[in-house]
Amino acid sequence: MKEIRSAAAEGLASCHLCGKVSPVELGTCPRCRSPLHLRKPRSLERTWSFLLAAMVLYLPANLLPIMTVAGIGGTSHDTIMSGVLNFWKKGDYLVAAIIFTASILIPILKMIALVWLCFAATGRTGASPKTLVRLYHLTELVGRWSMVDVFVVAILVALVQIGALSSVFPGPAIVSFAAVVVLTMFAAMSFDPRLLWDHRTGADPADHP
Amino acid sequence: MSPDTEEPRAIVRHRRRWSSVWVVPLAALAVAGWLVWKHYADRGPVAHVRFETADSIESGKTEVRLRSVRVGFVESIDLAEDLRSIVADIRMDPEYAGLLRQDSRFWVVKPRFSASSISGLSTIISGAYIELEPGESRIMAQHFDGLEEPPVTSATVPGLRLTLVAEDAGSLAVGSPIYYRGFEVGRVERRSLDIDNRSIRFEVFIEEDYASLVREGTCFWNTSGIDFAAGADGFKLSTSSLQAMLSGGAAFAVPKGGTAGEPASNGDIYKLHANESAAKDSIFNPDRRCLLFFEQSVRGLQPGAPVEFRGLPLGRVVEISFRHSPPGDSRVPVLIEIDADTLRQASDRNLDESQLLTTAVRSGLRARLSTGSLLTGALFVDFDFVTDAPPAEISYIDDIAVIPTLSSGLLQIEAKVNAILTKLEALPLDETLGKFGKAADEIAITIAEARATLAEAEGAMAGAKKLLSRDETQNLPAELDATLKQLRASVESLGPNGSVQGDLARTLDELRAALRSFKTLSDAIEDKPNSLIFGREGSGDPVPRAKR
Repeated sequence: MKEIRSAAAEGLASCHLCGKVSPVELGTCPRCRSPLHLRKPRSLERTWSFLLAAMVLYLPANLLPIMTVAGIGGTSHDTIMSGVLNFWKKGDYLVAAIIFTASILIPILKMIALVWLCFAATGRTGASPKTLVRLYHLTELVGRWSMVDVFVVAILVALVQIGALSSVFPGPAIVSFAAVVVLTMFAAMSFDPRLLWDHRTGADPADHP
Repeated sequence: MSPDTEEPRAIVRHRRRWSSVWVVPLAALAVAGWLVWKHYADRGPVAHVRFETADSIESGKTEVRLRSVRVGFVESIDLAEDLRSIVADIRMDPEYAGLLRQDSRFWVVKPRFSASSISGLSTIISGAYIELEPGESRIMAQHFDGLEEPPVTSATVPGLRLTLVAEDAGSLAVGSPIYYRGFEVGRVERRSLDIDNRSIRFEVFIEEDYASLVREGTCFWNTSGIDFAAGADGFKLSTSSLQAMLSGGAAFAVPKGGTAGEPASNGDIYKLHANESAAKDSIFNPDRRCLLFFEQSVRGLQPGAPVEFRGLPLGRVVEISFRHSPPGDSRVPVLIEIDADTLRQASDRNLDESQLLTTAVRSGLRARLSTGSLLTGALFVDFDFVTDAPPAEISYIDDIAVIPTLSSGLLQIEAKVNAILTKLEALPLDETLGKFGKAADEIAITIAEARATLAEAEGAMAGAKKLLSRDETQNLPAELDATLKQLRASVESLGPNGSVQGDLARTLDELRAALRSFKTLSDAIEDKPNSLIFGREGSGDPVPRAKR
C-alpha cells in the first residue's frame, strides 16, 4: 500500500482564507496575508469550549417554557417536550415527530457526535477515520436545521397576536435554544477533521503553529 | 564569544495555558444560570386555597383576578387529604405577591342565577375565574379557605353592617334587598342559624349614603312575599315589590310615634319583625299589666289583639288563660298590657300609677269586648268611662290589677232586648184590650151624637140660604155700585184735570215770581249795600251803548 504523504508532513499549509498552499515557514499567506497554520489552532480546545457552553444552555432550553400561549381558555406555558407531548396526544404524530427530531434528537445527537469526534481526534477511539469523517459531515449538514424550532416560535409570535382571543409570547427557553444551535454550529466549525487521521500518522501538527 | 558573531536569538513564545475561547462556556453557564434563576425568581408565591369542588376550575388555565386584573393562575388542583375538598394551588404573579394576606378571600366567579340577580355571565365564554379580595391584615398567609358563594358586598366597601335577629328566616336570603320606603338601600350579606338562641341572624349591609337612615329607634321587618292578615282591624293585604316577593326582602323605618335616636353604628343588633304591623307595634311600650275577667265567650279574641281606649290604641292582649284566674272562677281571664301614659292623659295627669287606675275605675272605667270586624268576627278590648255602670273597685291578683268589665255590645243588646220582652210579657194586655173595647163603644155613641149635630148644622145652612135668596139681599150690589161712582167723581176732582189741581198750579207760579224779585233785590243789596238807603244809581263808568 502506497503511503499517502500529508501536506503537513511536507511542511505545507493551506491558507484558511484563500486556500493557497504555501510552506508553513512563511508565517503568512503570500496571497492574502492571513496567518498560516498547518491545522486550525487550538481546534479541540475551542470545540470543547463551544460544546460545553452548548451543553450548559441545553438544560434551560428544555426545562423552561419556550412559548406562552395566552387566550380565552387561559394561559399555558409550554416547554419543548410538553409541546411534543401535546401534539402526540392530539394525534398529530407527524408534527410531534418533526419537532421531536429537530428540537430534541438532533441537538443531542450532534453534541454526542462532537464529543465523540473530539475523543477520536486524540486517538481514544478505535473507529476508522472514514466513519468519523462521514459523521462530521453529517453533523455539519444537519446542524442548521435545528433552528426550525426557533423559526416556528418566531413566526408564531409574529402571527398570533389576536388580542384577547389568542396571543403567543416567546419564553426564556427560546433564547437558550437558539444559543445551543449556534454554539454547536461553532463547535462543529472549529473542529478540524484532519485531526481525525493525524494521530494515525503519528505526526502532531497541531503542536506546530 | 566574539562580539561580531550574530548570536541566534531564541524567539520565546509563551504558549497560553488557557485559550480565551473558554470564556464562551463560562458565559453560557452564566446565561443559563441567569435564565433559570430568573424563571424561578419571577414566579410568585403559591397560595393553597381550599374549595368544596373544583367545578369549572382548570389547572394551568383558570386565572385569579382582582377587579378583573389578572394577579395569578391556578397551577394545579389536588384533592385534599380527607377527600372532602380540593386544594387549588394558585401561583401568584410576583408583583402581586403582597395580596396573599391572612384575611384575603377567594371565591370562584362562574355563572350564577338567582331570583335577585344573575351574575358572572361573562364567564360562560371565557371560563370561570377565581376572584381575590385582598384583606387588610399585615400578616401573610399561604393557606386559605375559599368561599363557596361570592360575598355580596366586598368588605372594603364602606357602609353600615348590622345584624338582624329574626325568629323565622322567611324567604329572606343572601342578597335579598333591604328597602327604605321602597327604595333599595342595602342587602343581606349572610344568614346563619344561631343555635343557642334558636333564632336566625342576618348580617346586612346598608350603603354608606343611606347609613344615616338607620337610627337607634329603627325597626326592621320582613317584607317577603304577600302578607295577608285578618284581625280585629279587618282584612289586611300587603305586598312589596315583585323582586322582594320573589327573593324576599326587608324594610326598615322609624315607626310613627317612635323616637329616631342616635345613628346606628357597625355591628348593632336589631330585631327583624315578621311584618310591618309587628314592627309598628314594637315601639308601643306597655308598662302595665292588667287582668280582665269576662263573663262571656272570648271567641274571636286573640293574643295580640288591640286594646283601645275610645278608639285610641292603649295596649294589647297578652294571654288568655285560666292560669290567672282564682280557682272556681268560670269567668275568662284575659291578661292585657297597656300603656298607662295614654290613660293618664285622658284623666288626671298628676296621679301616680296605682292611683290612676283606682281613680279611673271609680269614675267608671270599664273594659268590654267589642267586635272589630263583622267579617272576621275578631274581637278587641275596648275601654271607656261608663257613667251608669254599677259601682266597682279595682282589685289585685298577684299584684296584677283587675279592671272591672262590662258585657260587650252584642251581649248587652241581647240583655236589653230580653228585658224589653220581659216587660212586654208583664203588661196587663187583656184588661187593656177590654178597655179598648169600651172606649170603642163610647166612640160609637159619640159618633151618633156628632151625626145629629151635623143634621142641625144642615138646617141652619138652609136658613141662611133662604136669607140670601131674598130681594133686598139681591139689590145690595146695585147700591154699592152707585156709591162707588160718587166716590170716583170726588177723587177725580183732585186729579190733574181737576179744579183743585189748577188752583194749586197758579199759587205756585205766583210764589215763583215773588222769589225772583226777591233775588233781584238781594243782588242789588249785595252790589251796593247802601242802595237801600241812597237808591239805585248808574255806575261812574259810562257804558257805551250799542247803536240802535
